[in-house]
Formats: sequence, structure tokens, C-alpha cells
Amino acid sequence: MNPPADLLPGTLDLLILKAASLGSLHGYGILLRIEQISHGALLIEQGALYPALFRLVRQGLLKASWGTSDNNRRAKYYELTTAGRKRLREEQDGWNRLVAAMGSVLGAEPEEA
Amino acid sequence: MKPLGYLKSIMSTLFRGAAADSELDEEFRAHIERHADDLERSGLPRGEAERRARMAFGGYEKAKEGCREQRACFWLETFWADVRFGLRLLRKAPAFSLTVIFILGLGIGANTAVFTLVHALLLKSLPVTKPDQLFRVGDNEQCCVNGGLEGSWSLYSYDLYKHLRDNTPAFEQLAAFQAGQENVGVRRMNNNAPAESRVSEFVSGNYFQTFGIGAFAGRVFTAEDERPGATPVAVMSYRAWKEKYHADPSIAGTAVAINSLPFTIVGIAPPGFFGDALRSNPPELWIPLAFEPQVHGSNSLLTQWDDNWLNVTGRLAPGAQPKQIETQMTTELRQWLERPGSMLTQADRTELPHQVIRLTPGGSGVKSMREAYQDGLTLLLWATAAVLLVACANLANILLARATARHREFSVRAALGASQVRLVRQAFSETLLLSLLGGAAGLAIATYGTRSILQLAFPNRYVPIAAAPSWPVLLFALALSLVTGFLSGTVPAWLASRTQPIEALRTATRATRAHSQWVQPALVILQSALSLVLICAAGLVVQSLRNIRNQNFGFDDDGRYIAVFDPQMAGYKPEQLDTLYHQLREALLQIPGVQSVSYAMYTPMSGNNWEGSINVEGRHTDNDQAVFTRVGPAYFDTLGTKILQGRPITEQDSATAPPVAVVNEQFVKQFFNGQSPLGHHFGPSGEKYSRSLEIVGVSENTNYWSPDEPIRPMYFVAAPQAIPRDTPEDEVSEQRSLYMRNIVLRTSASVPELEKHVRSVLGQINPDLPVMELFPLAQQIQRNLDQQQMIARLMTLFGLLALTLATVGLYGVTSYGVERRTNEIGIRMALGADRVNVVGMVMRTVGLQSVAGLAIGVPLTFAAGRVLESRLFGVHAFDLAIFAVATFALALSALIGGFLPACRAASIEPMQALRNE
Repeated sequence: MNPPADLLPGTLDLLILKAASLGSLHGYGILLRIEQISHGALLIEQGALYPALFRLVRQGLLKASWGTSDNNRRAKYYELTTAGRKRLREEQDGWNRLVAAMGSVLGAEPEEA
Repeated sequence: MKPLGYLKSIMSTLFRGAAADSELDEEFRAHIERHADDLERSGLPRGEAERRARMAFGGYEKAKEGCREQRACFWLETFWADVRFGLRLLRKAPAFSLTVIFILGLGIGANTAVFTLVHALLLKSLPVTKPDQLFRVGDNEQCCVNGGLEGSWSLYSYDLYKHLRDNTPAFEQLAAFQAGQENVGVRRMNNNAPAESRVSEFVSGNYFQTFGIGAFAGRVFTAEDERPGATPVAVMSYRAWKEKYHADPSIAGTAVAINSLPFTIVGIAPPGFFGDALRSNPPELWIPLAFEPQVHGSNSLLTQWDDNWLNVTGRLAPGAQPKQIETQMTTELRQWLERPGSMLTQADRTELPHQVIRLTPGGSGVKSMREAYQDGLTLLLWATAAVLLVACANLANILLARATARHREFSVRAALGASQVRLVRQAFSETLLLSLLGGAAGLAIATYGTRSILQLAFPNRYVPIAAAPSWPVLLFALALSLVTGFLSGTVPAWLASRTQPIEALRTATRATRAHSQWVQPALVILQSALSLVLICAAGLVVQSLRNIRNQNFGFDDDGRYIAVFDPQMAGYKPEQLDTLYHQLREALLQIPGVQSVSYAMYTPMSGNNWEGSINVEGRHTDNDQAVFTRVGPAYFDTLGTKILQGRPITEQDSATAPPVAVVNEQFVKQFFNGQSPLGHHFGPSGEKYSRSLEIVGVSENTNYWSPDEPIRPMYFVAAPQAIPRDTPEDEVSEQRSLYMRNIVLRTSASVPELEKHVRSVLGQINPDLPVMELFPLAQQIQRNLDQQQMIARLMTLFGLLALTLATVGLYGVTSYGVERRTNEIGIRMALGADRVNVVGMVMRTVGLQSVAGLAIGVPLTFAAGRVLESRLFGVHAFDLAIFAVATFALALSALIGGFLPACRAASIEPMQALRNE
């Protein structure tokens, strides 16, 4: 397992959007899925999750609705809206561009004299 | 987010708060349970799984708060919560709350009261339609009848007004109204009650139209009412109708007798309209100019080309440029002055290019009262601002003490997850709550205060200023409360922002922090400095008042009385006057206690005078101006004015004797260079009159205006000695001057029922000759001083208020300091310090603070003194006596404020103190 990486500020929203894009989930489920698909490399502070979820709901990128979970308990389910999907695509593109740029900078070799 | 969604969010925030909270709880708990389930599945016992899950979740309350913050309009919810909490706190500490609200109420109330007056007198427009379209023709205040050229014109004769009105189409309406105030006798035709005196004003037919005022009942004047030969009508003011005629619905249309002439009241002006200027005793009756000749009889001014007695204001057409109109009207003025038949002298012609007309904004009315009160009100405004600052500093100190005591509470809040911003917001909300409550209290105090100030400034007179708060005043009070809250609240808020959550765990109440240690003394020093400045300023104002009062006015007021009467109202013709005066004098001398009686046109300090050009024989100039009055025999003796050379006016100066005059010192100084003028001659304007009057005496300078005005050259002529004049206008003028309006009496001791005796004497001579007023001369002087006295009293009050607040503040801070240093004092006493040492230690701190306050206060006082020196009468910027008194007061305050806590410190038991860890 890779050593856990620190979360860059601002990326939590992107992770949540991605996790929610893979299906409607409640809060705990989103947490699990992020940890799962990052192979344990990204650990989210649980307390920070919910304010971020609420923020995304307020911004119209997620939609929240109450439902019954698998073990017959009430849970609030979050799913991506159209605007959310669009934002996810934009953020993903931006992230990829950033990674490419960082990569080319960090991969530069010292010039031969 | 879409606007609809946002709106729904706001609604849900405001109305579903509790439900939303329980939803959060449910969600979080479900999350923790699921995590616990997972952990249990991986082998942990249930209890351990649940504990781990809860810990893994992190800050529960913090997460909840984070979610709540995401709701729209969240700040409103928190503000409301803070307010509710603040109210609870206030209820639990009623003494504290009431004290604070009271202090704030005083500070805000004083400011609001003064602002009410400032607004009414200096800022507000007249209650008329579109006041910004109104322009006054003239830029200075003159009253009440002028002759000759004015330079920058502000008073106009009726003919000149008509000329301007008819030739300036840029003015949609141009109205003229009497500059002075007048009393007329009014009697209803249907009963035999005696005539009552009412304040009246002559106005042009378009007066009400110019101001855009309609009638409350009946109708107002139109241009028709100004035609000669129209039916005599009058309009009554709303207040007169309400107060003096008890809102009698039959008034409109009734016939009344005004000065024994038949008139009809055609209408009542709307409530709130008090005329063209803010003044005390506003007009109760408006009468068209066309009827002035009837009412004034031979004293009529209407047809006098040369008597300028009307103010002129008009409504400019939209788009008209005042500057252009000014030039146009100046040309019209000069044309009128040079018209064929005008009596311009050579000197006048050289002055012609200097005759101008200037337009000034007329929306706030004629400014005489405004100018008179401007300085005083500005001073009061500064003083109340200083008092408010002192109150704020007091409040800040109190709040600081309380915040320090509550630091554990704030630490707990921080530990529970409140952010810095949140804590600061809470601190500010609580302070704001206090200051808004203080503002409400302040409004009540202000209403009462304004009423009292009005009574002090205008005793026994009516001024159309409402004491109850109007919208601008309410807004001012609100703004002031907010500013106060902000100023006082910064310190506790700043403290709140530095909260350390770990403090929640500490049990020691040693809440000493380096920064709070200098803030409190600094505020106390500020208070002392401000109090010093206020007290010194008050001292200067009081001194100025004393200086004014103690001047030698040129007469004695001891036992002197003035009776105002109006022979014209009773219908006397000029040739009957002399006999009347002699009758009066003889009859009045019969009253026991009356030592001397005389009569005059004007009396000292009445503010009234008649100024005109004179021609002194030998001085070949037309520019000499002097004031004159007619007096009866024994006038100077009755008043107590000394005759320095020659003789006074006596009985021998009858209608057939050669006309003589007595002049004052200023006259001699200005026209005779100090040489004896006895035997020389002078006369009214015109070379041919330069030998009309022979100077037979010189009197000391007497003030016939107001206490702070300079003495003008003045001459006194005998009552019956009219000088024959060439032109009809001059003759009318001369005849008009034969009417005496004042009787002066000198009494030996207090004469009981003097007024009744005087009235009966006049009544016996002629029942139509009422005594309009009788009062001691001292009262006439006092009327001039009312304003100064009010300001002096208020300044003293504010100074004392500031000093009291500063003392209370000092007491509070010193007590607090003693409490904080209880340990230290205990240790000192255990080590051998006795009670005296302890008291000395405390008083030393107090002394240092006071000295620091003095140090800061002295330059401020000096600066204030410099500013006041130019506005007050005969005071110096730095008056040692006043400063000594102020320093003494400050020292006393320090003593009182510091001594009790010092004694308390001295009575500390060392063992008790040491145990108080």
C-alpha cells in the first residue's frame, strides 16, 4: 500500500464529485469509495466531509435526498446534477493540465554545459 | 445557484432551523454507526468500535457548525442567536445592564437633543413646496426699515419690489413680505371683548403661491388681494386658530376688527407652516400689503419710495441661472434708482456702481435666527460629542472587565469549534445590543432634553421646533448607537479573537494579560483629558456670559420698567400726540412709588433702531450715518444714563422751541474727533438740513442693540420737535417718528401691582389705548442673554456629566486593579507594608493616571480655548483661574474615585489574600 498522501487544499471537492459520479451514495459511502479507489492513499478527515458536501449541494453540483439504506436505516443520498457533471469534467481537465505542466517542469534535466 | 433555489434556501434557514439541525444529527449518527459496524465486522468489540468510530469522525460540533455555515443567510441566524443570548445575559445582571444603558442613554441622548436643534435650525428647509427652487433676493439680514443705498440690497420698498417683479420673468413668482414683526389688536366683531394683541405680517398677494402653500380651510391670498380697493382680508395661522381661538370652525369667513378696522378672515394656513423664517413667535395673521396704509395710517410705508422694509423671495423657473438673474436684477435696480424723479444726491451717484443684488438659496428661509444660534449649537455639538466619547470609553472599560471575566466561557466556545470570526461577531453583537438599547433610552432622554433646552433658550415664547424625534433625528440616533457600539466593542472583540481554547481547562482566575493592563488605564486617561477640556470650555462660556452681563450698558436697570403701548392703534393723529404724552406723564407720576417717567421710540437693548443719513454742518460729506430716537423730558434721568456735557432733553424743548439734540460719545468721537460738539449743528440727510438741530448735550454711550454689538453714533431728539421737511416722503417719515411706543418708569422700590396701575391710568385717558406689555428693563436685557445663558448652563452640565463619568470610570478601573493585585498586596503586607503604604501604592497609580490625563488635556484645552476665544466675549484662550478650578475638580474626582478602592485594598487580610490563588 502506498504511504498516505496529504490532500492538497481544494481537491476535496473534486474527489467528492468523482466519487458521486460513480453512483448515488450517502456520506459514509462516499468516504469509503474515495479511500477504495485511491487504494488507501487518500484518507479524508471525516469531519471535513460533511461541510464540503453541504457546500456542493448549495452550489447546485450535488443533489441530496433522503432514502432508506441497505440495512433499513434512513440515510441522505447524494448524487451528481447536470451542473455537477459539467463541473467534474472541467475540474478534471484542469487537473490533468496542471499535472502535465508540473510533470514537465519537475522532469527537466540540468542543461549540459 | 439559481435565484429560486437561493430563496428556498433562505426560507429554510429562517424557518426550519431546528428541523435542519436534527437532520444533521441523524446523518452524523448514521455515519458513525456505519463506521462502527465496519470496525465491529473486522473484529473489534462493539464498545471499542463505537469509540474508535466517534474519534475518527473528529470534531462533531465543529462539523455541524461547518454544515450550518453553508446555509444561506446563516449570519442572520447566528446574529439572532447572539442577540437572544445577549438579552439573557443582560437580564441576569440587571444592575450592570441598567447602569450601562443609562450611561449610553445620557451620551446618545445629549447628542440627539442637540442634533434635533441643529437639524431644525441649521439644516431643515421651510415646510414649503420644492424649497430648492426658492431664491432670496439679497444675501444679508437687515431689519426692519432701511433708508438710503444698501450696497448689497436685501430690503426693498414696495415700488422697487414691483419693479423687480414686473421685469424679471425668470422668477415664476416673486413675493414680498414685511421684514419686521408687528403686533396688531384683533377683536371679533360679534362681541365686546377687548382687543387682543396678535403677531402679524404684511405680505404680497402671491405670498402663499410662491411658497406653494394651500389653505387648510377657506382660501389663501391671490394677486387680486393686492389690488388697491380690494376687500380687506386676512389669513390666520393654524397654530393661532388652534391655540388662541380654540379651533373654532366658524372663524373662516368671520369679520374681525384689526386695529379697529374691518377685516374678514378668509382662510387658515395649513398646520406646520409658520411663515418665511424660523423665529420665535411666528406670525399669527397675514395681511395683504394693499391694506398696510389703512393699518399704519400716517406711518404707512407702502407708498414711500425710499423706505425699504420688505424682504423678497421668489421661485425661479426651472433652468434659470441664478448668476445671470443676479446681473439682470442689478441692472434693474440701478435703472430704478436712476429713474426720473428719484432723489439721488451726488454722493449717491458715486455709490451707484456698488449697488448690487445677489441671490441666495431661499429654501431655508430668512436666516436671522440661524445665524444667531449657529455658533452656540456648534459648540454644544462638540461638547456632546466629547461627552459621548467619555461614555464610550467608560463602556469599553466596563465591557473589557466583563470580557476578561468571561474569558473561560469564550475559551470553551473556541474549544467547541467556534472560529475567530464567529467569536468576534458574538462579542460585537452583544455590544451592539447594548448600544441599541442605549440608543432607545437616549431617544427618550433626547425628547425630554430638547424640550428643556427650548424652554431655557426661549422662555415664554413659542418656537416652531418639535421636540419629538423626526425621521432624520431617529436615523441620527441609530447611526450614533451603531458607532458607539462599534467603538466600545472593539476592545472586547479583540480580546475575544485572542481566545486560547486551552484556557478552558485552567482553573486559575488569574486573567491578567499584558495588553489589557494598558488599555484600561489608557481609557481612563482619555476620559480625564476630555473632562478637563469640557470643564475649561464650560468655564470660558460662563466667564463670557459674566463679561457680557457686567458691561456698563450706559443705564441702570434697577427699578426701571418699560410699558409698551401704541397710540397709533388707538387712532391718535400726530398733532394730538404731544398732549397725550403730557397727560400720560402727569398721570403716571401720581402712582405712589413712581419717581420718574419718560417716553421714547426705542429703549435700550430692544434690538430696534432707526438709522439714517445725517449731515453735520462743516463736514461736507453725504456718507455720515447715525441712529436716532425721540425721547421725552427726563428720559436720561429715568434711565440712569449720565450726561457728560451740556444738558439732557427737558420740558423746555417743546414743539415751539428751537430743535435740539443730545448726542452720544460715539457720535462725538466719529464726527467731532473728540472735540466738544456743544453749539454745533447737524440734521437729517441733505445739505439744507445741516443746521436743523443744535447739539446741547453729550450722553454716555448706551447700548440700544444687543450686548455683543458695537456702539453706533446716536442722537436723541425731543418728542414734539419735528423738523419741517421738503418732500412729502420725508414729511411722512418725520411724522411717523413722532409716535412713541415705550414708556419708561423709574420706581423707588418694588411697587405692588404696578401693571394694574399703569393700565388703569392709560385706560382712563383713553379706553382704546391698551398697555401691550409691561416688564422690568432687566427682562429686556435678559432676553438678549437667554441664548448665552442656556449655552453656559448646558456646557456646565456637560462638563459635570463628563467628570462624573470619568470618576465612575476611575473608580471601576481602580477597583478592578485592586482585585487583580490582591495577591501582590497580600504578599506586601505579609512582608511588612502597613495599611498606609498600601493606600499610598494605590493612590500613586491613580495620581499617575490623573497627571497623564492632565498632560494630554492641557494642549487640547489650549486648542479649544483658542477657538472659543474668537467666538466668545472678552475671554482669553488660557485663563489661569478657570484652569486651576478644572484641575482642582479633576484632582477631587481622582481622590473620590481612587480612595474607596484604596481603602478596600488596605483592609485586605494578608492570609486571605495569599489563599486567594
